[in-house]
Amino acid sequence: MLPVAVDAMGGDRAPGDILAGAHAAAALGIPVVLVGPEGLADCRDLPLIHASEVIEMHDDAAQGVRRKKDSTLVRAAEAVRDGKASAMVSAGNTGATMASALFRMGRISGVTRPAIATPIPVPGDRPNIMLDAGANAEVQPDWLVQFAQMGAIYARHRFGIAAPTVGLLSIGEEPGKGDTLRKEAFELLSTASGIDFVGNVEGRDLMRKTADVIVTDGFTGNVALKTLEGGLKTLFHALFTAFGSSPEYKAAADALLPAMLPLLAEVSPDTYGGAVLLGVDGVCIISHGSSGETAMLNAIKLAEEMVQGGLVAEITAAFAG
Amino acid sequence: MSSTDAPLDRSAVFEIVRANLADILEIDPATISEGQSFVDDLDADSLALIELVEALEEDLSERSVGFRIEDEDLVDLKTVRDAVDYVYGRVKGS
Repeated sequence: MLPVAVDAMGGDRAPGDILAGAHAAAALGIPVVLVGPEGLADCRDLPLIHASEVIEMHDDAAQGVRRKKDSTLVRAAEAVRDGKASAMVSAGNTGATMASALFRMGRISGVTRPAIATPIPVPGDRPNIMLDAGANAEVQPDWLVQFAQMGAIYARHRFGIAAPTVGLLSIGEEPGKGDTLRKEAFELLSTASGIDFVGNVEGRDLMRKTADVIVTDGFTGNVALKTLEGGLKTLFHALFTAFGSSPEYKAAADALLPAMLPLLAEVSPDTYGGAVLLGVDGVCIISHGSSGETAMLNAIKLAEEMVQGGLVAEITAAFAG
Repeated sequence: MSSTDAPLDRSAVFEIVRANLADILEIDPATISEGQSFVDDLDADSLALIELVEALEEDLSERSVGFRIEDEDLVDLKTVRDAVDYVYGRVKGS
């Protein structure tokens, strides 16, 4: 397998934690190539593709890609395009990661727009897939049908769900609920072939097994994702604060800890490594900006899994003709 | 393509623009004409236009060394004709 190209400078904890994750992946036998500036410290024995620029978190996505042609993101995407890497992974600027992949790898023929597919944890069950989580702030109804098709393929690859069900995120279960986009998308999804559409789902269903794949526009999806992440973080912080507020509670909490820790891991974004940009002609993993070593390791493992499983080839075949 | 190729005439530039645009929008090239508006007639949004610009720069950079479409000029490219005129002006002058 060709190496996974890792953007060494992407993310709040780059390069230290990114390199640590890359080394951990390499130690597991996953081939990795770093993309970063010449002289990058602590590369050790990992190969390095030189890139002198970094697209910062605050840079405009498209302009960043156009103006910083020697950036780590652009070079990583080019490595995939040019057959020097099998996949790219970055915890950097999400929009710029998408733009780099789109402009350099290109779209899969038949796909109108790529979408970011992110796992949503479902305690005690396999995660759901939500897309789009932020690639397209505005979408057309027929794009949501394509998101559903790609999301179903990804759900099979990622979580082994043989026949994924698809839901449309809206403000009510009934078909007539939602704005014009949702109503038109509902009609299209209802008649689309090859999609097991179960109707509208609501925000409360994101972490429940109402549908395996949940489609929405990128603006709504990003708000929903950040709301979930922020809500869970706040809730767990409040819980642990309450547990520590008296010696009696603390003793009881210590006894509960073995049950709590797996739950914490199950809902942590680090566990899943990142989201996948579906619809581009290559594997592109978009990790959380705050990714640490574990998240980066899991992102690289995810990249390897999607390459080995032939995710892109299956989407390409599904959209051919 | 190499820098020693014969200069492109305007109709060749139109064909290059049309082929790339058709590829990006996944439509039949024959349906694209010079008078069409990117947004109103071809339903091309800003990301599609940047895809077009990137594709044109890649296609033409070898023939016209360092060929580049300036970001500040993008706002003036509203129709296929605008794009063809702009690109032709650039490659002709190189």
